[in-house]
Amino acid sequence: MSQLDDLKTAIKSRLGELECVIGWEQGYDPLHATPLFIRSEADLDRLIIGPLAVHNLATYLTGWKGKKVGVVVKGCDSRSVIELMNEKLVSRDDVVIFGLCCDGVVSQRKIRAALPADPGFVESVEIGADSLKVTVAGQAATLRLADVQADKCLVCDTPDAIVSDFLIGKAHTPAPAPSLKCQDEFEAKSDAEKFAFWQETMGRCIRCYACRNACPMCVCRDYCIATSRDPLWVSQENLPSENMMFQMIHVSHLAGRCTECGECERACPVDIPLMLLRRYMNKQVRDVFKHEAGKALDQTPPLLTFKVEEERINERGW
Amino acid sequence: MPAQDVRELRIVGFLCNWCSYGGADTAGVGRFTQPTDLRIIRVPCSGRIDPLFIVRALMNGADGVLVSGCHPRDCHYAEGNFYARRRLEMLKRFLPITGIDERRFEYTWVSASEGQRWQHVVTEFTRRIHELGPAPSFNPKSDVDWNALAVKASQGQGCPCHGSIQA
Amino acid sequence: MEKFITKDNLYRLAEELAATCRVLAPVADCGTVTFRRFQPGMVLDLHSRMAAVSPKAATFPQTETLLVVKREIPEKKPEIIETLPEGKNVVLGCRPCGARGKLIFDPVYETDKIKDPYYLQRRRNTVFISLACDRPETTCFCHSVGSGPADPSGSDVLLTLVGEGYVARSVTPEGEEIMKLALFSDAGDKGKEADAKNAKAREMMGEAHDYASAPAKLLARFDDMDFWLAQSAKCISCGACTYMCPTCYCFNITDDDLGLSSQRIRTWDNCMSHTFTLEGSGHNPRSTKAHRLKNRVGHKFSYYPDLHKGVIACCGCGRCIKQCPTGVDIRQIVKAAQEYAE
Repeated sequence: MSQLDDLKTAIKSRLGELECVIGWEQGYDPLHATPLFIRSEADLDRLIIGPLAVHNLATYLTGWKGKKVGVVVKGCDSRSVIELMNEKLVSRDDVVIFGLCCDGVVSQRKIRAALPADPGFVESVEIGADSLKVTVAGQAATLRLADVQADKCLVCDTPDAIVSDFLIGKAHTPAPAPSLKCQDEFEAKSDAEKFAFWQETMGRCIRCYACRNACPMCVCRDYCIATSRDPLWVSQENLPSENMMFQMIHVSHLAGRCTECGECERACPVDIPLMLLRRYMNKQVRDVFKHEAGKALDQTPPLLTFKVEEERINERGW
Repeated sequence: MPAQDVRELRIVGFLCNWCSYGGADTAGVGRFTQPTDLRIIRVPCSGRIDPLFIVRALMNGADGVLVSGCHPRDCHYAEGNFYARRRLEMLKRFLPITGIDERRFEYTWVSASEGQRWQHVVTEFTRRIHELGPAPSFNPKSDVDWNALAVKASQGQGCPCHGSIQA
Repeated sequence: MEKFITKDNLYRLAEELAATCRVLAPVADCGTVTFRRFQPGMVLDLHSRMAAVSPKAATFPQTETLLVVKREIPEKKPEIIETLPEGKNVVLGCRPCGARGKLIFDPVYETDKIKDPYYLQRRRNTVFISLACDRPETTCFCHSVGSGPADPSGSDVLLTLVGEGYVARSVTPEGEEIMKLALFSDAGDKGKEADAKNAKAREMMGEAHDYASAPAKLLARFDDMDFWLAQSAKCISCGACTYMCPTCYCFNITDDDLGLSSQRIRTWDNCMSHTFTLEGSGHNPRSTKAHRLKNRVGHKFSYYPDLHKGVIACCGCGRCIKQCPTGVDIRQIVKAAQEYAE
């Protein structure tokens, strides 16, 4: 029995008591998957898992509040579920978690860089144990999955769902890289270089809020202060300063809560490397509060509480 | 630029009503001279300060932002500044990744009786901001500046994790 | 008029035009391809793929200042300065679908009663030099909405890549003017190669889907919220689709208070956002994403065609499908409505 068969069996056993189970199915072309809302056994037949199943389905949970749903999660996704539960935004009783032992997912950006033609021209894809055979614009190319894995997978230390009602697949012993080269290189740049980078990058931001809406921790959604008119935090004008202001709002509101699922960067239609900001913020949270969001249940996010004596905050003698 | 320079830079201050604002008052009553760049906004407690106030001020063109509250364990509302300490520390540590010089933002604790300390804080901070000079804006001043960055990006420069696409 | 221009000369054309006009061209930018104002030294990316962003910013920028109000001294009467866009624009290297977008704007922005001066000024002063597509992406469906990979409508000059250059064909008198420049040479019999390429690209797209029944069928689903709840389940209601779309034309007008001055700006608005229909009273007729998706799909494939002689407010570029973070596919939604068994 394959991992997918085991998953289907597990879902079948609970489908009757749930509004739906959120999983993935084949998307608009052979290189893409898309979320699937399973309500019947016919729907269940379309379920897929694997390296194309990149979407963090936890982002839908708060939209099903009050109803009992099931959700299929990879290790990183389970962190988002845990964080939502820790913040009492989702009740453990309302979710049946089908946890996967994940072998990693792809980065469409890396696939694009590795193929001889743009993946928009893909004709067929064969997913192997550790390879991806892609035919694009009439040319065949075999990519090693390890080469096109998403950045978050390279540094992942929770490949298997941390909390679940069913844990499906072979357990891993994670051996993550200590850090990402691109993150280290960026952090090493001078202030002026980083500033110029964000100036230019925010110049192409169109403030579509795909990053915000894809984020599982962003629950204010329709009432987000970035789109509030009264008080007005951010102008409608599409200036780099306003676009950067929005990023500052997002990252500040994620401090201590971001589970580094990377959906924001994946969702961005103009490929802005948003994770540079969030990984850095998470480093500070780790450093000051020794906390990583979504790693264990019953934890309080550090910015929702305080200690009278803070070990790692210098009280700034002047 | 020395602090005695005639030109004022724009420094915004968020002071808690009970301790720091009182401390600034004490400094005034005692006639302690300070540079006049700092413009104060009074808030009831440092815990009321959303870190985004500081960010918004910096994005709007402030050259420096100073936050001051009661000493931790002495908050007029008991706990406000404990939260403030955590939030403001995270903001200070976050600024470097954006390219904004984190020395442009400072938070400190000044009590109502510490008039002389307030004078020292303001003078020091203003001197530091003058040394850093006016803050750069995220909005390029002209089309020319903007385009210089875009040309470099099109050539594949500066991008940390994405390769450039062949033309 | 039919001529030929080499790749090198096309770059020189960009340089030459940039001296007197704002030239928008597709440029690689850290992993994506976006339209940027051309500057000498910029590396163009015309061929790797279609730009992620549409070229509609040439005639309909994301932010535009309508007027500025200045007050020198509080007692003096405020000075109102209306600003109309100045100068000429050239969009170089967009695809036919992108250039066609403005044909959807025109009946809305210029009617008997209303003529939008800002849009019209830009429209009259912008020339589109489009590049025909060699092959379709998996998300392309221009052939199903009355267009095609070499559709000239909306463009002033249409280029087709042949060998190390492009066969150029003029579509409008403005296009002809540009093609009179010395950078263009005789096309010889390359025109036949261009025709073959265009036909091949169209052939690769396969059979077109017939959307003729879409307006009525979508309207039939108007009260069926179960249908729209199911279709919108995976939508995250962001707005990437709207902002990328060459034919989406809604806008917001805001007065920005800047102290002693203020500016009235017009910015892109987005019907997928909650605040799109939020009224001053607090009531919101489209408070759920199901309502909003129904509106977006309905507008493009039903309400707009009903108002404008059956023209679908969609150019089939597929950006909404490939940029959608969750893969919402408008083709699937319309097809589901068309095939819905009562």
